[in-house]
Amino acid sequence: MRLNLVLELLDVPGQLLDALDPIGKLGANIVAVIHQRDVKTERGTIPVHISIEGDRETLKRVLNAIEEMDIQIIEVDGVVKKEKLTTILIGNIVDKDLKETIKVLNIIKGVRVADLNLKMSDNPEESASRIVIEADYGIKKDLMRNINKYGKSKGFLVINEI
Amino acid sequence: MKLCIIGFGAVGKGVSKVVSMKKEMLIEKYGLDISIVAVTDRSGAAINPDGLDVELLIETKEKTGKISDYPKYGVKKISSEQVLNDIDYDCLIEVSPTNIDDGEPARIHMLKAMKDGKDVVTSNKGPLSLNFGELTKAADSTNSQFKYEASVGGAMPIINFAHETLAGNNITSVLGILNGTCNYILSRMANEGSSYLQTLNEAQELGIAETDPTQDVEGIDAACKIVILANSVLNMDVSLKDVKVVGISKITPESIELAKKEGLLIKLIGVASHDNLEVSPRLVREGSPFAVDGTLNVATLRTDLADDVTVVGKGAGSIETASAILSDIISIWKAKT
Repeated sequence: MRLNLVLELLDVPGQLLDALDPIGKLGANIVAVIHQRDVKTERGTIPVHISIEGDRETLKRVLNAIEEMDIQIIEVDGVVKKEKLTTILIGNIVDKDLKETIKVLNIIKGVRVADLNLKMSDNPEESASRIVIEADYGIKKDLMRNINKYGKSKGFLVINEI
Repeated sequence: MKLCIIGFGAVGKGVSKVVSMKKEMLIEKYGLDISIVAVTDRSGAAINPDGLDVELLIETKEKTGKISDYPKYGVKKISSEQVLNDIDYDCLIEVSPTNIDDGEPARIHMLKAMKDGKDVVTSNKGPLSLNFGELTKAADSTNSQFKYEASVGGAMPIINFAHETLAGNNITSVLGILNGTCNYILSRMANEGSSYLQTLNEAQELGIAETDPTQDVEGIDAACKIVILANSVLNMDVSLKDVKVVGISKITPESIELAKKEGLLIKLIGVASHDNLEVSPRLVREGSPFAVDGTLNVATLRTDLADDVTVVGKGAGSIETASAILSDIISIWKAKT
């Protein structure tokens, strides 16, 4: 079975070697490695594309070994790892156009609104909504900042995770 | 060691009780013999160079509300500043009510004590969150020891913990639940589904929230503590106006329920880091160290060597807060001997 991974490495000597080390030791075959040092992610880290071959068990062990070294796996076989983000908004949902907020969020690259729940209150100014977002790994911090800014501009009280 | 206590509310009374309770232990373990030579409040003072009687101090204050009514040694209408001028003492315990508008008169009291080379122990957040730099410089210039563990988190160890136990670490941020009143209200709302106003009223009846709860529920008290942590633990130079503050008065039972269904709780969280100073309602995961109930305080310090370190403790209470003041007194004594 072949697995295509994208790892996130720090721009520090020896990182690539450390990442590849367990792959061979665990019995998987390295088919290809693409290491572009001049391409950096927003976090200043370097994405490395690695193609490896082996049986299912071996490949599972390789993934665990890499994660245990605190190296982030951003993509596995073209599927970008996702993070979940929950936000609660309090305010006049009907008036302040929650639909618009959802649309603005869905437009952001790597963001998908996965779940939306509303709870109306006797006082419409105090209605609450819960938005659960699936975001590409690594953009959570910026996303929370944007949600905060946008929600506040609409007069919502925005409650984000810590 | 001769103490001058300015302010005789819950904390002032607590300090005198604690000092009396531990009298023998302090002499035996540290060779520290504490006597309270003066106590002041708005009415005046009680002054006795040979030491005041703790039980009588508390009885007087509870009976008439005026420490100047203390038998024989009470002095009416004398200012605290005057007392600091006139008497012979070693350490100022400044525990007067917090004034976040200008930090006075606590600020003047502390500066005067420092100028006279006396040590200062305080729980008063006012001057600490408005004039931190001025106070620490004044203390340094006369080599007077300046301690304020009781100003953040009550009995929960944090300031001295960061400076001493985590010495050698670079602390990059502090995150915390620092106001017991807000945590109590939000916990009860979560456990009972009650409204904010109803829960606030009950908290007021129990004495957990003040008659004017604004400083607590609008996050200002927590913001003061964030400023103190930022200045003291993170070596920043900030004051109250630099903190983004949102309180809990707009939190609804509906929002708490929506959070609960995702396994989350709403808590008032303070954040101090080099790129962010804020106090606001945030979502914390059930079962995480921040999912504490009641009036407890929690804080997590992010360090380079020790990774994340979390402390939990009683954030308020007369004896609890006084215990932090006693800890500072002992530490001042130890540094001298």
